[in-house]
Amino acid sequence: MKFLSLVSNEWIKIFSRTRTWVFIALPILIVLGVAIYGKVTADEDVKSNWKQEVTEQNKELKSQIAEAKKDNSPKFVAESLENEYRQNQYALKNEISPYETTSWKFMKDMAPISSLLGLFVIVVASDIVAGEFAKGTIKMLLIRPYSRWKILLSKLIATLAFAFFLWVILVAATWLFGSIFYGFGGMDQPYLSVTDGKIHEKLISEYVLANMGLEFIEFAVTVFLAFMVSTLFYSSSVAIGISLFLTFAGNALVLFISSKSWAKYTLFPNMDLTQYLDEGLQVVKGMSLSFSLGMLAIYSALFLIITFAVFQKRDVKA
Amino acid sequence: METVHTLELRNVTKKMKGKNVVDHLSFEVRKGEIFGLLGPNGAGKTTTIRMIVGLISMNGGEILVNGLDIRKNYEKAMEQIGAIVENPQMYDYLTGYKNLMQYARIMPGVTRKRIDEVVKLVELEQAIHKKVKTYSLGMRQRLGVAQALLHRPSLLILDEPTNGLDPQGMHDLRNYMRTLADQGTSIVVSSHILAEMELMCDRVAVIQHGKLIRIDNVTNVTDQAQARVHFLIEGGLPEAKLLLSEYAPEKAVEVSGKELIIEASTSQEIADINKRLIEAGFLVYGIQLKKKTLEERFLEMTGKGGGVNEVSIAGQ
Repeated sequence: MKFLSLVSNEWIKIFSRTRTWVFIALPILIVLGVAIYGKVTADEDVKSNWKQEVTEQNKELKSQIAEAKKDNSPKFVAESLENEYRQNQYALKNEISPYETTSWKFMKDMAPISSLLGLFVIVVASDIVAGEFAKGTIKMLLIRPYSRWKILLSKLIATLAFAFFLWVILVAATWLFGSIFYGFGGMDQPYLSVTDGKIHEKLISEYVLANMGLEFIEFAVTVFLAFMVSTLFYSSSVAIGISLFLTFAGNALVLFISSKSWAKYTLFPNMDLTQYLDEGLQVVKGMSLSFSLGMLAIYSALFLIITFAVFQKRDVKA
Repeated sequence: METVHTLELRNVTKKMKGKNVVDHLSFEVRKGEIFGLLGPNGAGKTTTIRMIVGLISMNGGEILVNGLDIRKNYEKAMEQIGAIVENPQMYDYLTGYKNLMQYARIMPGVTRKRIDEVVKLVELEQAIHKKVKTYSLGMRQRLGVAQALLHRPSLLILDEPTNGLDPQGMHDLRNYMRTLADQGTSIVVSSHILAEMELMCDRVAVIQHGKLIRIDNVTNVTDQAQARVHFLIEGGLPEAKLLLSEYAPEKAVEVSGKELIIEASTSQEIADINKRLIEAGFLVYGIQLKKKTLEERFLEMTGKGGGVNEVSIAGQ
């Protein structure tokens, strides 16, 4: 009948919560803060004498590599130090300053903020179903003339739209503040990455765009996971807790199971899609971008099937 | 042609933990009727209501709303229902008006004018733009009634609607219900409070252990035939009881305190009994005609703990 009204109802509910405005404002403030801080503390000496700085860094790296080899640290520790060392050498030779900040470089540096956004998205997705069960409002909603799957789908769409909205806000804010403080332009600025011991020169803007796309896919999978947990548990705090635990403990778990042959078929090693962007350094071996995308598609479908099947059948006693 | 009832339950059964919480329940609700579901807590009233509005699945039987099977025509059937299931939990971070907007948006044919109309009906004009978290229980209940009425349902379902209402609120609710019923809306109300049911319903179904014990017209309850006569007497109650038993052996006589209670009689009989008591030397201080309340009859019915067949269907 009026399916879109269901979605707009959910959207209105999301935006009627105070926390939603915090979720929107906080990333903007952090980005603004970092931009100002970076500008104020920028060491102009280092910027002009960057060659000297990088040479010193490499001396330090050399001793660290030697130490890592002596201590029998995991192999990837020494490997990543070596990559960094070689990148520096390449930078010196080709005169590519790592200290040159442009708006696109700023966007690349701010990429880790997306995990904060991931956290906010988890809170919203975990609460959107479980919260209504906990408060009992779900029964007022389910007695309307809509099949249950439509009501659940409207909630899923609203959550995805909210995730997309947060992500657009973050991208826009980083670009805007980066441009204001470090100047517009910089689309042609190169950066270095190492794959299989070889050094590549790439455009930062390419990296940023690819990174944004991949991150949004990660977001979507996170939403599906949290949404499933939200449907399986009646309490929103339990749902939020479980989803956060799975997402963050999942990454730690990857290190423990990385040597197992089945590790690449589990969810979490595949959740970090940006690992394919540079470094070429993967904790779990034998995976590629298309492999991970395939695995994520399978997991997402599984989560959604469970979510919708459970929701459709459940007796509501709230 | 068969008449289509607003609501019809046929052998509706719900199993929970291997037990029939609702057991082959059948009844129908006519157009413009206020129908009560009466039973102690845990009798299956709320479960029945939740099955009607689709919150709980059925294990057997059929539910028809204006002839539409809710399992085959779920959305069409639900369009005709307005309901409050237990406490009406609203979004307390939204205002009353925004809560109503939530439902108005997704129901057919609800205009802003209609919202204002309903708000006026439940007398929430003063508070409608305040957040629901500031509302009293009675105000929430009234907002609940408002959301149930928004789309002019032909079947209104109210589960324990008087919870948290003050006497004035209860009185108002009964008045809305009667007005709606007169306009053709059928109403199903559940309660475990008998006095309330007596005041608001046309017919009452008594449910225990998920089974229908009986359905009664409420007006029957107040019939003369259900009345009892109380004689207030000083001294010698056992002898007086014997005297009455001789006079009317077919009637049950009870002693309660200083009262002698006998089942309803004609005015002539009452005069005769009085005369006999006085002639036998008893002092009669008072004679009272008391109607049997629904409560007493309810206790009679459920207290026996028997099945449907064991309960006498008096007054029909």
